[in-house]
Amino acid sequence: MKRKILDFPLQHARLVFIGLAVLTIGLGSAIPWIQVDTDPETMLSEDDPARVFHNETKEEFALHDLIVVGVVNEVEPEGVFNPASLARIHQLNQQLKTIDGVIAHDVLGPSTMDNIEQAGPGTIRFEWLMERPPKTPEEALAIKEAALRLPMLRGTVVSEDGESVALYVPIESKDQSHRVSEEIRTIIDGFDASADEFYITGLPVAEDTFGVEMFKQMAISAPLAALVILLLMWWFFRSFALVLSPMIVAMTTVTITMGALIASGFTVHIMSSMIPIFLMPIAVVDSVHLLSEFVDIYPKHGDRKAAIKEVVGHLFAPMLYTSLTSAAGFLSLMMTPIPPVRVFGAFVALGIGLAFVLTIFFVPAYIAALPEKRLAALLTSKRDADDGGFLGRMVESIGAKSLRYSKPILVLTTAILAVSAYGITQININDNPVRWFKESHEIRVADKVLNRELAGTYTAFLVMKQDTDAEREIVAAGDDALEGASDAVRSQWDGLKADAHAASEEGATNVSDALIEATSDLSFDSTGEESEQWQAVQTALEEAQTGSKTFQNPEHLAYIERLQQEAEALPLVGKTSSIADVVKTVYRELISGEEKDYRIPDSTEGVAQTLLQFQSSHRPNDLWHLVSPDYRESAVWVQLKSGDNQDMMAVKTDLDMFLAANPPPEGLRAEWAGLTYLNTVWQDEMVGGMLESLMGAFVIVFFMMMILFRSPIYGVLAMIPLTITIVFTYGLIGLVGKDYDMPVAVLSSLTLGLSVDFAIHFLERARSIQAETGDWRETMALMFQEPGRAITRNAIVIAIGFLPLLGAPLVPYNTVGFLMAAIMAVSSVVTVILLPSIMMQIQNWLSPKGEKAATGANNAPAPLATNKEQTI
Amino acid sequence: MRTLTKTWLAALAAAILLSTPTMSAEAGDLKDASEIVNRTNTAQYYAANDGRALVRMKIVDSKGRSQRRQFAVLRRDKADGGDQNYLVVFDQPADVRGTAFLVKKHANKDDDRWLYMPGLDLVKRIAASDERTSFVGTHFFYEDISGRQPEEDKHQLLETTDTEYVVKSTPKSSSGVEFAHYTLYVNKKTFLPSKIDYVNAQGKVYRRIETVKVDTVKGHPTITRLKVSDLDSGGYTLSDVSNVEYDMGIPDDIFVEGSLRNPPQKWLR
Repeated sequence: MKRKILDFPLQHARLVFIGLAVLTIGLGSAIPWIQVDTDPETMLSEDDPARVFHNETKEEFALHDLIVVGVVNEVEPEGVFNPASLARIHQLNQQLKTIDGVIAHDVLGPSTMDNIEQAGPGTIRFEWLMERPPKTPEEALAIKEAALRLPMLRGTVVSEDGESVALYVPIESKDQSHRVSEEIRTIIDGFDASADEFYITGLPVAEDTFGVEMFKQMAISAPLAALVILLLMWWFFRSFALVLSPMIVAMTTVTITMGALIASGFTVHIMSSMIPIFLMPIAVVDSVHLLSEFVDIYPKHGDRKAAIKEVVGHLFAPMLYTSLTSAAGFLSLMMTPIPPVRVFGAFVALGIGLAFVLTIFFVPAYIAALPEKRLAALLTSKRDADDGGFLGRMVESIGAKSLRYSKPILVLTTAILAVSAYGITQININDNPVRWFKESHEIRVADKVLNRELAGTYTAFLVMKQDTDAEREIVAAGDDALEGASDAVRSQWDGLKADAHAASEEGATNVSDALIEATSDLSFDSTGEESEQWQAVQTALEEAQTGSKTFQNPEHLAYIERLQQEAEALPLVGKTSSIADVVKTVYRELISGEEKDYRIPDSTEGVAQTLLQFQSSHRPNDLWHLVSPDYRESAVWVQLKSGDNQDMMAVKTDLDMFLAANPPPEGLRAEWAGLTYLNTVWQDEMVGGMLESLMGAFVIVFFMMMILFRSPIYGVLAMIPLTITIVFTYGLIGLVGKDYDMPVAVLSSLTLGLSVDFAIHFLERARSIQAETGDWRETMALMFQEPGRAITRNAIVIAIGFLPLLGAPLVPYNTVGFLMAAIMAVSSVVTVILLPSIMMQIQNWLSPKGEKAATGANNAPAPLATNKEQTI
Repeated sequence: MRTLTKTWLAALAAAILLSTPTMSAEAGDLKDASEIVNRTNTAQYYAANDGRALVRMKIVDSKGRSQRRQFAVLRRDKADGGDQNYLVVFDQPADVRGTAFLVKKHANKDDDRWLYMPGLDLVKRIAASDERTSFVGTHFFYEDISGRQPEEDKHQLLETTDTEYVVKSTPKSSSGVEFAHYTLYVNKKTFLPSKIDYVNAQGKVYRRIETVKVDTVKGHPTITRLKVSDLDSGGYTLSDVSNVEYDMGIPDDIFVEGSLRNPPQKWLR
């Protein structure tokens, strides 16, 4: 079977090439149909309760995702409150409304907000805060004073210190925010040069801009990594034609996998955009093993087909194992509850399988098809095939030393593990899409400045609602009022109810409103006792309806007020806003305009009439962002100065404790919504899910190792480098204080797959060499020849190859670049230095005297090596 | 042959009949846009010398959620197209019952407006600002209810069809208005507007007021159902007018602050 597989590419090279070309072009042609989805919301499945509630809340309170545009002036003594700056802000405010995709009537800014104030004794005035830009410095200051008096604006539209202004731009959908922010930028660029600084930020911009940058990076970072890898391999293997083959394997693997993903109808999420970056090293690793050995063996054989056969014969089993374990690591991601992570895991696993098949079929066919002169360089190479050049001598000497100092090495490893374990306990689980950009990125800068100036650009909503069915209760009140009425009246009432239900089904009214109107008409049109009866029903219905308006009730508003005080006492909360603030502000202006009257009126009617006045402004609908029109649901806006998940969680924990200690009145229920909150939900699932899948994968890989090596001891040995690598890299993350975020979480599966690679190659080769030599010391000496070189070359190629990622403006790419290098370095060092030491220590267990071990090794799938000859 | 001639004649007759509407301007048509707008103003806001009506407004948002407002209106004119007084007393929803507005509308200066809130036992003057604020949370503006002064706009007769005048009105000052212009469709017989389209600076119609139903009460054509739509958000308000009465002899002395707390029930019912 294996022999057939090995012979096939050598005999049918052309078939392999054509097959690969067809597959690549066929699936690759799907790539132009790519659909990008950078919305972190999709990290939660569509029916996730938190996501469902978040979207219900957005719908209920007509909430849109907001782009925040801040204007800061550090030069003028009054900040932006001077005629020239306000003229620019006014122009910007008006032009924002004309941008396609902006919800014009909900744009918040000084020119589109109302001012409510006293206009002389006993007089109240509603007017635009800034209908036109001020002409004098005094007028500019008057606008500032007016805005600072309005709690809804203070800290939000105008900074607390009265120097900066922010505009809030609601957009129809998140995926337009990058384009809209670019258009805003164009408007700003059109302004004359001045000391005004404009900043654009907000979660949707960060998320959407990340998507745009991400694709730039896919076009820059991934190919750049490929180029560096190519150059490194060229340096190692001296034949450009030869090293082209791993590149072709990597490129076609990425193309086919991404094509398959897109053709299957999946959107390319932040996660799946990383597939090329992940597949590249995995695809290259196998081919580098293959080439590395080929380059060492070929000069001795001179016959390339024989050389290839021998190399593939050696490597088939370890390559199969490493592919299986890597695939297992990624397939374990299918166990997480996060859809994009599942897609990512599945397609990376698919890519790994593909890379294995291509390495086995394509690389041999490619080498076989190369013109003779291309390989001539290998034969005439100055490099001494015996010691593999400088690298070879280094590996050999390190190997020799590691055997001599095996005890200190073991002690050192234990110490490093202990420190790393401590580091792991220091790991900080946190994420924030804005932090996916480097600190110098304009979004990060804007985020920093605006959260310093304003009450916070991150919003979460605490939604309070009453669960009872108000409509039914109101109708029941009508039923009660008619108790003891004549059958005729009661059947007329039943008719009214049926009509009211029908009318409410049609929309544009609800049952209670329709019944109140109908009974009002009946009492008006009838006389005597009948009129009184309908009047009584109407009164009962009205009372029940008024009573159902939970958030016109002063007691409930007072509870919200307390909740807000509690929230605002938290250092991370810049500000909260609720219907209570609106009621108190309008009431203050209705009564005296003085601070002492900044309070909630004493009666439900007082609240209702105060709100009726608010609704007589230019923006009556602003009320419905805070309360539902039936006053049964209300949203408290919580503005946070940080979008870090752990900060959001801290606020939530504190307020949940308050809610538990001070239960809301009459069965009110509180629930969280908002993008900032939603991010914490999927993070929670992600971290938990990743940990579970990592554990699962660890166990699976362990069993696979024991089965593949048919030995528990080899199984344990194979797990050592990967365990140390994982503990070390995550310990390092904890120690340097890097947040454990989405990219880091996903890298754990890659760590597992890649770091077991070297161990498999090492153990498999060591065992087959030992089977021939029968002596572990000699075996190890041979292991530091060609197998050690292959591992070292591989580690260097991947580690250096991914360093260009450190230059990307996106932090997740930097993280991948750094961790990839760390994983390669640690797992190769551990494999080459530590494994031999351990194996020497326990050599009696590995091959308890003679034949048993020897036969066991002979049964292993790849005992074809004639390594002894090679080294002669 | 005979049938063919018949068919031909019928077709000819039909062609003549159909072509009639396009021959618009008739001898009696008005040519002056300002006069048309003045007569519209009078027909809509100054019918008879005084009047009473019960108004029910239904506010429907883009999600189909509804609210109600119900109030009685008393009106007395000083002169057609000139000053007039209004008293508005709310009945629904029950929690705003008794809330009242008194408006002394002036043709040449800002209106005087008072407000009474029984729940706060408070009478308050409302200072003049622009009149394009919401009328108690409906999609109507205060100005839609009280009437916009014709002199505030320049009027241009765009078209005269056989039933309507189409007038484009452009504000003389852009201060306090959110539209660039509006187009008024006026019924030639009743001089009531059948439709008003408000156009923004981008040339887009974003707001529309439509007359849905007209009834003639005591010889006065009266709009009894009016709809205003916010075309941006998809919300609308429907206003139904009933119990209309004209020339009741409502005295001038009920339009005083005292009536806010103690509405004159005699005239309201």
